Amino acid sequence: MIFALLLILLALCGAPLFAIIGASALWGFHQSDIDLSVVVIEFFRLAEMPVLLAIPLFTFAGYLLSESGAPHRLVRLTEALLGWVPGGMAFVALVACALFTAFTGASGVTIVALGALLYPALREAGYKKNFSLGLVTTSGSLGLLFAPALPLILYAVVAQQLGIGGSISVDDMFLAGILPGLLMLLILLAWGLWSGRDLPLKTFTLNEAKSAIREAAWEIPLPFILLGGIYSGYFALSEAAAVTAVYVLTVEVFIYREIPLTQLPRVMREAMLLVGGILIILGLSMASTNYLIDAEVPSRLFDWLHARVQDPLTFLILLNIFLLALGTMLDIFSAVVLMVPLLLPVAVQYGIDPVHLGIIFLANMQIGYFTPPVGMNLFIASYRFDKPISEIYRATLPWFFILFGAVLIITYWPTLSLALLERN
Amino acid sequence: MLITLKRIKQLILFFEDGLMVLLLSATVLLAASQILLRNLFDSGLIWADPTLRIMVLWLALLGAIAATRENRHIRIDLFSHKLSPRLRSILAAINNLFSALVCGIITWHAVRFVYAEWQDGATLFATIPAWLGEIIIPIGFAVMTLRFLFNFSLQLLQPDGG
Repeated sequence: MIFALLLILLALCGAPLFAIIGASALWGFHQSDIDLSVVVIEFFRLAEMPVLLAIPLFTFAGYLLSESGAPHRLVRLTEALLGWVPGGMAFVALVACALFTAFTGASGVTIVALGALLYPALREAGYKKNFSLGLVTTSGSLGLLFAPALPLILYAVVAQQLGIGGSISVDDMFLAGILPGLLMLLILLAWGLWSGRDLPLKTFTLNEAKSAIREAAWEIPLPFILLGGIYSGYFALSEAAAVTAVYVLTVEVFIYREIPLTQLPRVMREAMLLVGGILIILGLSMASTNYLIDAEVPSRLFDWLHARVQDPLTFLILLNIFLLALGTMLDIFSAVVLMVPLLLPVAVQYGIDPVHLGIIFLANMQIGYFTPPVGMNLFIASYRFDKPISEIYRATLPWFFILFGAVLIITYWPTLSLALLERN
Repeated sequence: MLITLKRIKQLILFFEDGLMVLLLSATVLLAASQILLRNLFDSGLIWADPTLRIMVLWLALLGAIAATRENRHIRIDLFSHKLSPRLRSILAAINNLFSALVCGIITWHAVRFVYAEWQDGATLFATIPAWLGEIIIPIGFAVMTLRFLFNFSLQLLQPDGG
């Protein structure tokens, strides 16, 4: 117990999370007199899950996209095609951000890559400063419920390892995320439409549309190839990731030539740094999860909780509050890897569908990115737009409440997440 | 002496980065050619899938080594910006020592694990010995141990955030 508190203290003081998880696994197995090489054996399971291949490949493709001129072309294209509808520029920003986040895996790069293009464009279209700041900050994590966002993949991987509540595939998560993701998008769109109701409409010009399409001609097929391949079942996930990586590499490096070959090692290195950071946590947490299950921690947690909270609805309310607080402290990847092994068994006993839990979890984490006072994207936005953090807080707060509403709908209306799954 | 040390350091960095770039490129190419083979010729390399899985493990550890080098592991960062530089560097020293300890213990057990596999003559697939794929675990954690120890001693020598 003292050891656990010590670890939590160390984690709060900024010790690397993988070391905390590793220490807890080592300590747990040591206490139960199990040979510690079990930690290494569990870690080696990183090399036994074919789906993990998708993680380095998608991350690499995402970093290439954000380093190239793709963000610029994406904004220009959506502006040319959608800019003329009422609330046009807000529409543009939301759609572009959602697409970009889905493809780059929600690691804060959306604000960095798209924010600098969208913020001035929104201001120019006549949106107020706070509205624009709030929109750009909020949109930084919008879209992580859409395929092929990494958090969806990671959740399925972790849930599969637990092997409870039936099988959960990555495809299930990809299907389940669609409607909740659209709900968030539509609610924000409505807010954007309302806020921009007095702004003059832009006119649609065929020439600009044509030239924007021509400029992005090589990138437009990508979402269709990727999503078509995944949803039709033609590509396995790791294959889709390989196709994406090769395609993006060819287009950005050899066709557009926006990333010189000499810069390629640097981009690869940046991408692998994130991959290494995520996978080493995943590998060690497989050991600590194994210990947790051996020690029956989740079922004891359930017993303790069930003695106090009987009905699933109250459990979900508590879960929402807990996840919201968690989301401000932990990034989405470590949160999934650390908390899902504890929460999933408990939630299943309360009768919550594992896939639905995944969507609740990720939706909560999504708004955790910009929950004051310590959401990560708030700081990125403050840094990126050179505004004091208090101003970002004020600008983001209305957006936070709107999306919190969406998260509540997602939580208490399971059908929204489960409707597209074939097993129903 | 100092210049030689710097050279060695550069050489190590170059080797690490080079290996990572090579490995990622090979992974992309191998994964892509598997798809081509499957779709165009309805065949595939038998060794490709297990090799790709081992490559993911290697990429993970090489990435983690790089993250250690640049002090960019995933961590909770709640109040480091509110602390005095002195307190921050004390905490950093503690964290480095703690991480070195954890990595060191894992290294030791990884060595034992790989050694046992070597003695058993376990194979990954065909005649490829298992230890060849697994060897990156002790190497990776050993390098991280050294890096964390190095950072720790650096903080002891230059406590004011040198």
